[in-house]
Amino acid sequence: MVNFTVGQIRELMDRPTNIRNMSVIAHVDHGKSTLTDSLVSKAGIIASAKAGDMRFTDTREDEKERGITIKSTAISMYFEVDKEDVGAIKQKTIGNEFLINLIDSPGHVDFSSEVTAALRVTDGALVVVDCVEGVCVQTETVLRQALTERIKPVVIINKVDRALLELQVDKEALFQSFRRTIENVNVIISTYHDETLGDVQVYPEKGTVAFGSGLHGWAFTLRQFASRYSKKFGVDKEKMMAKLWGDNYFNPATRKWTTKGNDADGKPLDRAFNMFVLDPIFKIFDSVMNFKKDAIGPMLEKLDIKLAQDERDLEGKVLLKVIMRKFLPAGDSLLEMIVINLPSPATAQRYRVETLYEGPMDDESAIGIRDCDPKAPLVFYVSKMVPTSDKGRFYAFGRVFSGTVRAGPKIRIQGPNYVPGKKDDLFVKSVQRTVLMMGRYVEPIEDCPAGNICGLVGIDQFLLKSGTLTTSETAHNMRVMKFSVSPVVQVAVEVKNAADLPKLVEGLKRLSKSDPCVQAWINESGEHIVAGAGELHLEICLKDLEEDHAGVPLKKSDPVVAYRETVKAESSIVALSKSQNKHNRLYAKAQPIDEELSLAIESGKVTARDDYKIRARVLADEFGWDVTDARKIWCFGPDTTGPNLLVDVTKGVQYLNEIKDSCVAAFQWATKEGPCAEENMRGVRVNILDVTLHTDAIHRGGGQIIPTCRRVTYAACLLATPGIQEPVYLVEIQCPENAIGGIYSVLNKRRGQVFSEEQRVGTPMFTVKAYLPIMESFGFNVDEWISSRQGLQDRRTRQGYPYSQGSQARYPFSRHLLRQAVRKVVELRSIISVVSTLFSRVPVFPCSVSHQSSNRCIPPAGSSVYIYALSCHVARVLSYCISLYSLFWLDVQ
Amino acid sequence: MFYIIGLGLCDEKDITVRGLEAIKGCSRVYLEAYTSILMVQKERLEAFYGKDLILADRDMVETESDEILRDADKKDVALLVVGDPFGATTHTDIILRARSLKIPVRVVHNASIMNAIGACGLQLYNFGQTVSLVFFSETWKPDSFYDRIKENADLGMHTLVLLDIKVKEQSEENLARGRKIYEPPRYMSITQAVSQLIEIEELREGGILTPDKTLAIAMSRVGGSEGQERIVSGTLSELLSQPPEVFGEPLHSLVIVGRRLHHLEVEYAETFAVNRESWRSTARDVYGCALD
Repeated sequence: MVNFTVGQIRELMDRPTNIRNMSVIAHVDHGKSTLTDSLVSKAGIIASAKAGDMRFTDTREDEKERGITIKSTAISMYFEVDKEDVGAIKQKTIGNEFLINLIDSPGHVDFSSEVTAALRVTDGALVVVDCVEGVCVQTETVLRQALTERIKPVVIINKVDRALLELQVDKEALFQSFRRTIENVNVIISTYHDETLGDVQVYPEKGTVAFGSGLHGWAFTLRQFASRYSKKFGVDKEKMMAKLWGDNYFNPATRKWTTKGNDADGKPLDRAFNMFVLDPIFKIFDSVMNFKKDAIGPMLEKLDIKLAQDERDLEGKVLLKVIMRKFLPAGDSLLEMIVINLPSPATAQRYRVETLYEGPMDDESAIGIRDCDPKAPLVFYVSKMVPTSDKGRFYAFGRVFSGTVRAGPKIRIQGPNYVPGKKDDLFVKSVQRTVLMMGRYVEPIEDCPAGNICGLVGIDQFLLKSGTLTTSETAHNMRVMKFSVSPVVQVAVEVKNAADLPKLVEGLKRLSKSDPCVQAWINESGEHIVAGAGELHLEICLKDLEEDHAGVPLKKSDPVVAYRETVKAESSIVALSKSQNKHNRLYAKAQPIDEELSLAIESGKVTARDDYKIRARVLADEFGWDVTDARKIWCFGPDTTGPNLLVDVTKGVQYLNEIKDSCVAAFQWATKEGPCAEENMRGVRVNILDVTLHTDAIHRGGGQIIPTCRRVTYAACLLATPGIQEPVYLVEIQCPENAIGGIYSVLNKRRGQVFSEEQRVGTPMFTVKAYLPIMESFGFNVDEWISSRQGLQDRRTRQGYPYSQGSQARYPFSRHLLRQAVRKVVELRSIISVVSTLFSRVPVFPCSVSHQSSNRCIPPAGSSVYIYALSCHVARVLSYCISLYSLFWLDVQ
Repeated sequence: MFYIIGLGLCDEKDITVRGLEAIKGCSRVYLEAYTSILMVQKERLEAFYGKDLILADRDMVETESDEILRDADKKDVALLVVGDPFGATTHTDIILRARSLKIPVRVVHNASIMNAIGACGLQLYNFGQTVSLVFFSETWKPDSFYDRIKENADLGMHTLVLLDIKVKEQSEENLARGRKIYEPPRYMSITQAVSQLIEIEELREGGILTPDKTLAIAMSRVGGSEGQERIVSGTLSELLSQPPEVFGEPLHSLVIVGRRLHHLEVEYAETFAVNRESWRSTARDVYGCALD
């Protein structure tokens, strides 16, 4: 029985102080969706008996089948909290009713983009950590994302039942493991400390950490125990909470509190947490699981738990579940933690506006966002598109940051490329309906004021994936989301039946709309390419495409990954390129950009849209650039945002600003299709050293300069020790010691690089961390891992889904790359020859022929000097040393 | 022998007798058609010269000069250039290449807009640097020509402004990707040229192109037959307000009148004035030309 009405929710929407927008984030399989069930059942949407098994927010068939969350799902719920708890809320509140807009997100690394989209529209996050596994790779990733979005975290340590039932740990060991996990979380939080957000580390004694079991439906914070005991001890609740954690001991004999572990006689004392919190739980577990029927009755009475008639006959785990659920209902404690500790939109938007809004902080939109003002001009951020039951149409899902959104009035729909004052990427249309997202269904509402999350109908065709909606003519865009993953795994798809082609084209459009990260395009040879973040992501996307978006049978190629081209040294000589009419010359050199800067650009810390002076300051202070150079960055590329820079380092050249546009255009394409393999370039800085230009503009138009600048970029890169980088996974494997040998051999076979191996404190398990090229990860788990005995767990963030049999083919890497490179020989020959003819003062390719230039891919000797030059070059690329370049882009060995 | 032959301004009959004789003896004849265009089709030229012409676009002249010069040391090859061979700086390059291949070169001159511009009544002696005005795009507005006009204006000289033509150009994207897909031809109109000039004047505020106080003469199809050639004079703002048909068909050129204006020049150009009164009064008051 749903215990609230849409009317109640709508009423609460007008009270931004009583709204909590939150997402549930964690490593894969740490129990997000299961925990969410507790809250959903508390709201009466599902029966409490089903909570924990149902995974209400896993709405798709494949989510249920595979047991992992794929899409983030939003749900709005209405709650009332105890009047006395309202006092504990440190921010302004009105009344004791609360609206919680919750988004359950996927934990698998392939779907990180869903997490990013969820975080954007929420202010707080419930971070779920598995009690046994502790903080994992993806925990850190999502936590980092949350903190950079200025989202306040609270933590729940989940699966405590496993520790008790499976590992049979004692109380002190459990406490220590809790403490360790919380410390690990806090280390991450303090690493990404943000002045404005303040200290957001979590402390059990402050009620920002909960412990529980989503599966069994119970959880607690120290607040609940404190309120039980505060009366008994006559101590204030807050003080009691502090006593219940850390090195606080209670001496039952003297009835005194102490911070020493021993009493006056030197006998060890029980820690207060163990004595007051864990003891009752351990006792319940002990008596129920060991069938001590007689002990159960009195204990329940003492704890004030009443069982229904039919529940008394239950036994074992089922009984345990029922008792614990009544003793410490998860919904209540989570709700309390969320309401008390997470910020309301009114609080959060005040400090988030700077990071959210691109425009000046004093325009009407910024002020509206800051004050969460429903009467200000509308600012709505669409973070993702959610498919409707109406095929091919989408809800634009997002959050109202300012003003009120309603059907009818014309609004401005600004895409990510919108520039204020221009008309690009701008539509003026009206919303048809606004709806409330309720997990598996939607509820229509009349309008939606600032601070709330909702869906909009009727504007999907004007948005690609995300965008800003506004009524203010002067409004800038909301900052675009930066994803921690990028679409690097690609497959080509084609229809089995040629007549279905239009359906495929339409389906691809819908697919790219429905997922924040997936990309679809047609390549030069006319194939339809779909790119996703990982193999699983792609598999899901293709399944959706085949069954849903296009609805026609498809043929899919084997997956391949996208590489990046880079340079590893400064160009050995100055590259020179002349324009076709010979009247203009460009001189340039390429050099590598620091890995840190590449990452900063990719993560959106340094962007093309920053004010150039501020950016120059950052580059000078943090990345050691020369300020003058940093101010003269012409552009980023590819797509004006990528991690390659075109820098003007000329001195006093006339007309230079008149060719800037042409150079920028050329650089975009040059960096999109690099010189070696036509892959995107990464981490390349091209310095324009000098130019000579014709005095008359007509002789140095785009037609002359663009091809010239493209050539000079290629030439400079080819002279700068070009290299290729490939995407890698950070793999974390937990296993017993005797399995480590097997792991090493498997990783070796797959070109993995182990960089850390350590024992988990207090367990016999080892954690091995390694970089594994994504290319080699295809078909990774089943064949070698699982069969290679003794239950080692691949915690690569992709454990536990049944692997599809279709795409297990492995690709001997080097052959693939060689093939790719050689395919380019013919096309590149022209460029190379141009390069060489244009190096009027330079010999062709000053490279030594490396020992690897074996000739299986190389055309017969003497066919052309240029091909020969290129093959040396390919050989060089392949023989690159193994150096650790980045977390996610490593040099190809 | 490699001939570069000027074709003159208007049609097939503008070629010089020397040029025509040279063509007759050539084994291959190329027609360059991107720096300027003739007012007649290629077929009429072929009929008149009695030779097949190979159309050479920008790409061919700039990148395939070897093909054009093939065997020119043994046979005669001609490149026909509209106007005068040296009118556009572009052709110096092919001569350089021919020289380096030890091919003898002969140039046959002809009339070009650079001298025919005298038709507007301004004395050729008083012209300063020639500038060309390119099509502005949303983001690309090269304004360095303004400095050239200013230098001329400071010396009191007239400026010949050549208007951009895009006969066979690629779009930016196609250029960047190296695709040979061409845009339809475009010729800049007088109205567009004047408005671009005014736009830059507003930007730079140098006071040399003030719309009401600057005299200019617009010309089209100079050297063309009866009814083809149009000359229109007036202040910039007067020219801007004229309907396009007044200026006739492309190609257009524009002359910005310099301060060192002779009274004969005023009188001659008055014939073409949009408004004779204001032409005279501006010349008198602004340019300080004694007309009485």
